Amino acid sequence: MTARRGWPDPAMLATLVVVVIAAVAILFPIYWMVITSLKLPRDIYRTPSLWPSVITLDNYRVLLTEKDFLVPIRNSFLVAGTVTLISVIIASLAAYALVRFRFRFRGLVGKLILFAYLTPASLLFIPLSIMMARLQLGNTLTGLVLVYLTFSLPLSTWLLQSYFRAVPRELEEQALIDGMSRIGALIRVVLPLSAPGLAAVAIFTFTGAWNEMLLALVLISSDSLRTAPLALNYLITSDVLPWGPLMAGAVLTSVPLMILYFVAQRFMVHGLAEGSVKG
Amino acid sequence: MTDPTASADRPRRRPGLTGERRLSAFALLLVAPAVLLVVGLVAYPFLFSIWISFTDRVIGGGGAFIGFDNFRYLSGQAILGSAARNTIVIVVVTGILKLAIGLGLALVVNQHIPGRGFLRAFLMLPWAMPAFVAFLTWRVLYQPIGGGFNLILTQTGLYPQVIDWLGQRPTAMPSVIAASVWRGFPFWFVSILAALQTIPRDLYEAAKVDGATRWQQFWTVTVPGIRHVVIVTALLSSIWTANAFEHVWLLTQGGPSDATMVFPVLAYLGMQTQRIGEAAAVSVVMLPVLAILVILATALLQRDDDR
Repeated sequence: MTARRGWPDPAMLATLVVVVIAAVAILFPIYWMVITSLKLPRDIYRTPSLWPSVITLDNYRVLLTEKDFLVPIRNSFLVAGTVTLISVIIASLAAYALVRFRFRFRGLVGKLILFAYLTPASLLFIPLSIMMARLQLGNTLTGLVLVYLTFSLPLSTWLLQSYFRAVPRELEEQALIDGMSRIGALIRVVLPLSAPGLAAVAIFTFTGAWNEMLLALVLISSDSLRTAPLALNYLITSDVLPWGPLMAGAVLTSVPLMILYFVAQRFMVHGLAEGSVKG
Repeated sequence: MTDPTASADRPRRRPGLTGERRLSAFALLLVAPAVLLVVGLVAYPFLFSIWISFTDRVIGGGGAFIGFDNFRYLSGQAILGSAARNTIVIVVVTGILKLAIGLGLALVVNQHIPGRGFLRAFLMLPWAMPAFVAFLTWRVLYQPIGGGFNLILTQTGLYPQVIDWLGQRPTAMPSVIAASVWRGFPFWFVSILAALQTIPRDLYEAAKVDGATRWQQFWTVTVPGIRHVVIVTALLSSIWTANAFEHVWLLTQGGPSDATMVFPVLAYLGMQTQRIGEAAAVSVVMLPVLAILVILATALLQRDDDR
């Protein structure tokens, strides 16, 4: 039809300009995070420049040895991993029932899950901290896992429903005819067929817990139980100029996740496009 | 799909499995753990939070019912007005900017251009970054010393003086908004792009045949095709932005003075003063507006779900 060959037409040129501006706007903060983490203090504070005179891993050394950053990383892994495991198992059962069966209270349960999903932590952190204190779970990672279920469970149930719905009912009925139980059909037919969905939900749940800060701030008071966001938060409030080690921590806690997203984004976009993943 | 003859000589289903009641009980059993946890960890604290806001509870204490005293006290505080105003400003301004940027980029990526898949993944990077990392990074970017923005401005000669972006009233709020938009636009971009891809090409062809210009095509075909998704995205994004904590906490902690104070940060700071009743009242103040948004979003999402 119209020009799509030869010299770029004005529309194509405009597209190119937009893409370049967007690329710079997205990359500059990421570049600044990485490059600050690799700078010596004098290249950050005394003679700042866009490109440092010396590239150093000293900030990482300070962070990991002097600030013991491996402890919060480990705590974050522990909490996020446990939350993901529990959420995905319980949510699979619930989502399966909601998608496949017409039962009493189905509408009500669906609505409850959705409401819970949309109820923000900022409304819940005060009562949750009182409840956890009463249960003797204040300032424990177990308590943190429990309160993280407030957002992860509704999220995974809600997302899994859309993945389960895409599994053809016929395959499952065939499995039932072949003598499998309902749970057998769920485990051996529905779950394998929704594997990409499960992976996406697991990643969303994991990152949700990995990124959470407000509830952790309220619940955790011991240094040794801090999660990664907490450790970095307290780094800013310390008295020495922390930008180098702070950005080293930012790189360590985000780059693995960003690579994961970049690789898995094809599966993730489906869930995101359901209009339902916290941004 | 299934071959009807394959199981002809076997009973189609085990007896009892199709029994309505048994199935219903089984389904309830499957949803029970999720429902119990959600009731215990969301519904109960939600109601508890409203109750606390009507008490004079302090940390470690029980607290007695005091009616609307907390709300009356708060309504006299200037900081509550600031929090309300700032929360609205952040929600509305970031919403408009994220819509504009998300829609613009979605239209660009929806064209036939080389490397679309890569471009889409690339444009989602800020959203793949944990919020706390994104806002810590922006905090460093805004620094008078060691910050990237001031370095660019002074070194290129665009502006000779160093600006304390987060430390002064006129620039603090725009700085918070810019960082929030950076981290939040990919969600809008991807949602709108997904909606754009469901619009059949024929509709554009038909509009072209009718002599519609590109601009007219946009209003008669594109806008109706994405309207629903934009409304749902706007509702979800508003709920989350109004309740976001990290952006303000990590950039300014609500300052300078209360120039960027928002409800969640105010509630958190209130909790640290040990006066739990008042802190709970701060988060409950938002509830009426929030409830409307949540009910609207629930209705729209459930409608999608039933389709």
